[in-house]
Amino acid sequence: MNLKDISTSVPKKDHKGKVSGQLAYISDVKVENMVYGVLYRSPIAYGKIISIQLPNLPEGYEAVGAEHIPGPNYVKMIKEDQPIFAGEWVNYIGEPILMLVGTDLNILYRLLDEVKIEFEEHQAIYTLEEAIKQKSTSACFASYEFGESLANISAIEQGAHQIIEEEYDTGYQEHVYLEPQGMLAIYKDDEIVVQGSMQCLYYIKNALLSALACGEDEVRVVQSPTGGGFGGKEDYPSMMACHVAVAAKAVKKSVMLVFDRSEDMVVTTKRHPAKLKYRTALDKEGNILSMCVDIFLDGGANEGLSSVVLQRALINSAGVYKIPHFHAKGFCLKTNTVPNGAFRGFGAPQSFAGIESHMGHLSKLANIESLKYKRKYLVKQGDPTITKGQFRDPILMEEMIEDLLNVSDYNKKKGEFQRFNQQNHRYKKGIGTSLFLHGCGFTGSGERDHIKATVKLAKSKDEKVMLKISNSDIGQGILTTLCKIVAKELDLPYEEILYPYPDTKEVPDSGPTVASRTTMIVGKLLERAAKKLKAQWQIGVEQEIVENYVHREMIPWDEKTFTGDAYPAYSWGVNIVEVEVDRLTGNVKLEKVYGNYEVGKVIDERIMKGQIDGGLAQGLAYGYLEKMTSKQGRIQQKSITDYGPPTSLDVVSIESKVFDNPYADGPYGAKGAGELTLIGGAPAVQAAVEDALQTFFQQIPITPEVIIESLWVREGEEVD
Amino acid sequence: MAEKITAYRFDRLDQTLTQLNKENCVIIAGGTDVMVLHKSRRGVPPKIPKPIVFIDHLSELKRIYQNHKDLHIGACCTYSDLLEDPFIPIPLKKAIKTIAAPAIRNRGTLGGNICNASPAGDTLPLLYVYNAKLLLRSVHGDRVVAINDFIQGPRRVQRHYNEMLVEIILPSVLEEGSHIVFEKIGNRNADAIAKVSFAGYIRINGVRIEDVRFAFGAVGPTIVRSIDIEKKLYGLTIPLTEADIAQIVAAFDKIINPIDDQRSTAIYRKTVALNLLRYFLCMKQYQSN
Repeated sequence: MNLKDISTSVPKKDHKGKVSGQLAYISDVKVENMVYGVLYRSPIAYGKIISIQLPNLPEGYEAVGAEHIPGPNYVKMIKEDQPIFAGEWVNYIGEPILMLVGTDLNILYRLLDEVKIEFEEHQAIYTLEEAIKQKSTSACFASYEFGESLANISAIEQGAHQIIEEEYDTGYQEHVYLEPQGMLAIYKDDEIVVQGSMQCLYYIKNALLSALACGEDEVRVVQSPTGGGFGGKEDYPSMMACHVAVAAKAVKKSVMLVFDRSEDMVVTTKRHPAKLKYRTALDKEGNILSMCVDIFLDGGANEGLSSVVLQRALINSAGVYKIPHFHAKGFCLKTNTVPNGAFRGFGAPQSFAGIESHMGHLSKLANIESLKYKRKYLVKQGDPTITKGQFRDPILMEEMIEDLLNVSDYNKKKGEFQRFNQQNHRYKKGIGTSLFLHGCGFTGSGERDHIKATVKLAKSKDEKVMLKISNSDIGQGILTTLCKIVAKELDLPYEEILYPYPDTKEVPDSGPTVASRTTMIVGKLLERAAKKLKAQWQIGVEQEIVENYVHREMIPWDEKTFTGDAYPAYSWGVNIVEVEVDRLTGNVKLEKVYGNYEVGKVIDERIMKGQIDGGLAQGLAYGYLEKMTSKQGRIQQKSITDYGPPTSLDVVSIESKVFDNPYADGPYGAKGAGELTLIGGAPAVQAAVEDALQTFFQQIPITPEVIIESLWVREGEEVD
Repeated sequence: MAEKITAYRFDRLDQTLTQLNKENCVIIAGGTDVMVLHKSRRGVPPKIPKPIVFIDHLSELKRIYQNHKDLHIGACCTYSDLLEDPFIPIPLKKAIKTIAAPAIRNRGTLGGNICNASPAGDTLPLLYVYNAKLLLRSVHGDRVVAINDFIQGPRRVQRHYNEMLVEIILPSVLEEGSHIVFEKIGNRNADAIAKVSFAGYIRINGVRIEDVRFAFGAVGPTIVRSIDIEKKLYGLTIPLTEADIAQIVAAFDKIINPIDDQRSTAIYRKTVALNLLRYFLCMKQYQSN
């Protein structure tokens, strides 16, 4: 297949294996001398372990715990605060304390029930609300503050016509990847091979090098086909890898650890619940004079990636707007609940839900149609960012908005819906919009200072070219898109480019599969490597090309002062959503969903459509459908049915378009796309529900329970 | 080491009943509830405490026929079977379409939905307002029980271990002139368990109410129905007055006592149940369906 335009779709590399069901996922794998592991988890939210009493273990069954860890007892990530197995203290319900291993799961579950642990329970912090109240005494994982000086802001507020304060809450979100987490450690005398469902091979390898206190070549990480990640397999698999590897070392057998859905839902990381506070000064016409934003994230029991999530939340706290006199600060607080971690969007979905909601409410106060109001503040090329960086590249938002207004017939619908709503007492229709961006790649200088990505292209004697990178296909299609880039550059058929599941013994560290960086950063490196290979091509000779990351010249990012260019580039989007709300039941029915996006250049149209449809479904659901709650530190929804992600009957067909705006430092002009598509869903659905019911909401998800309560309150007021 | 399970699968109903008379067994029709109820953790088969009797293949239990104005439905008809049958009333089909998803509807049965006796059972509110009767059979003969007597509480039914539910009888359902609605509120449009459900039945002569029935699901341990409250409406004329409507709503307000759980809140369930009732009562006219 020769590709005239890179965007033309090709059959995905893994299409046949997945569609036929032949592809083996980690739970399908069996190796010689393999035992299963099951984890004994803390039943309490916060306390001290007083004593552990194990049952009599039959032959072949063993217990593995902190004492078996050759290295330090923490999962190497950013901070050293996440134990592999709980030490003296437990900090959340579900925290692993020890592992039982053996051949028969049935026996293992029985033995697990017979483990007796005595605890000294302490008063736990269960909610973000409590953590904020006790902020002065309880643990704060990270905090940042930046923007206009508070003295200036307060001077502006003194002269303002009106000051609007709003508080906005966002809930948990669960990834619901199709394949629950699973990890296998294959035991060999001189090497432990850890295989499983994952996004970041070298995160895991580094965690293992620390936990096993071993040499580079004594541990190897291999990705197995991965049924979805969404960020849920960025940080969490490192802990599971430590569990199975420590156990394998201890019992000298291969150890498999696979979660079923309910275990996965209760113990793995989720999207951080957040509280966002806005304080905005307005003039008489409702124009914004200044804005202060405070963001609080619920980090859960340990820090993990929370500080970085908070950074992205803050950097996006002004949305796509140029707000005069902006100030923001943020805190990530500890609670005794399941640790929160990476999730598609990484802090940005909370911020965009909040700022879009706030801007919508301000527009109502100013009595100006919300999209018109928002457009007054849209950033333009050359504008500074809120962190004193710069929007360098052309911005197509105005064109994208205009186009979507036409496609959706927005203005006409507004009128139609008003007439419909006057006549129908039960059902109310509404239409809402969201404007959003996503900073592509790592925040700040992470790519240059921490990741330092390297890629290799290996050509064999028979002229086959193989990608050697550590990035993992988690359903987003990089097996396909990255091969397309290399094929096109080398002018070779796409089918002849090989990209086997990565193995750290074979591939260099091209960085983790996160932050919508793979296509843009790794793809660009591969494009350059392919160019080089083409220039040096020798028939019948084995060749290897190595390419290293080069940083784009920007305003240097300073994490302390929170200034500089936070991202090398931005992707952009506009959503319009139509809903019908049932006033009797609070049910929200999606009627129509539109999206326009700008991601530089699309590498594969069908894969991009997959990202748009999937990302929007996940983002819309975050706004009104998916609801996860924690009660006394315990996650309440343990099944997909109870949690309620959308089915095919909940999502309508999505009308979308992608605009070209090639970016110089991306392959063929491509920027990040995967996370962007989620971000606009929730704020657009909120705006649509508000339009239907002519009311304001200060939270997502806007569940039927929330709607019914708000209608009830309103009717009460009307009667009084 | 695999554990041994005793399972029976007889060719005929009478053989099945004979076995049930000898031994207390777990009956599996579609298995969509039993398998979930006895589910083990990952990698371990379900643990079913008694021998199993499979009945999903018994043709005696799959018939749908009319007897005068009554409709008889075999207990082992799957939801998919019912969706295709011309005798099945439209509101019941509408309720069935809200159950799970096609794969489950191909396995799950009407008899199973009744015997599982979940307060959120999707067909139950309608079966209550249809005044469904259940034909139970054992080696000793038949008996007929009203559905509201049969279902005692969550997963508790008045079935003797040697009995089987063989038919569901919907009396006079094929009679013209009644207006029936069914509403299920779940957290999403498929594969959802009801947070609240409501069935309303009304038959009018001119403008006078001849018969009226209401049933609420997922708001108590069993489906909530009150014949005493229904009777207050007999003979009244349509449209009902504000005062009459308020009186009926207030009466149900007293007997609907839902709970908070991982799916919804008590206050939501109650508010929505009463909203749907009020909406039904406020209708200006009722068309028979």
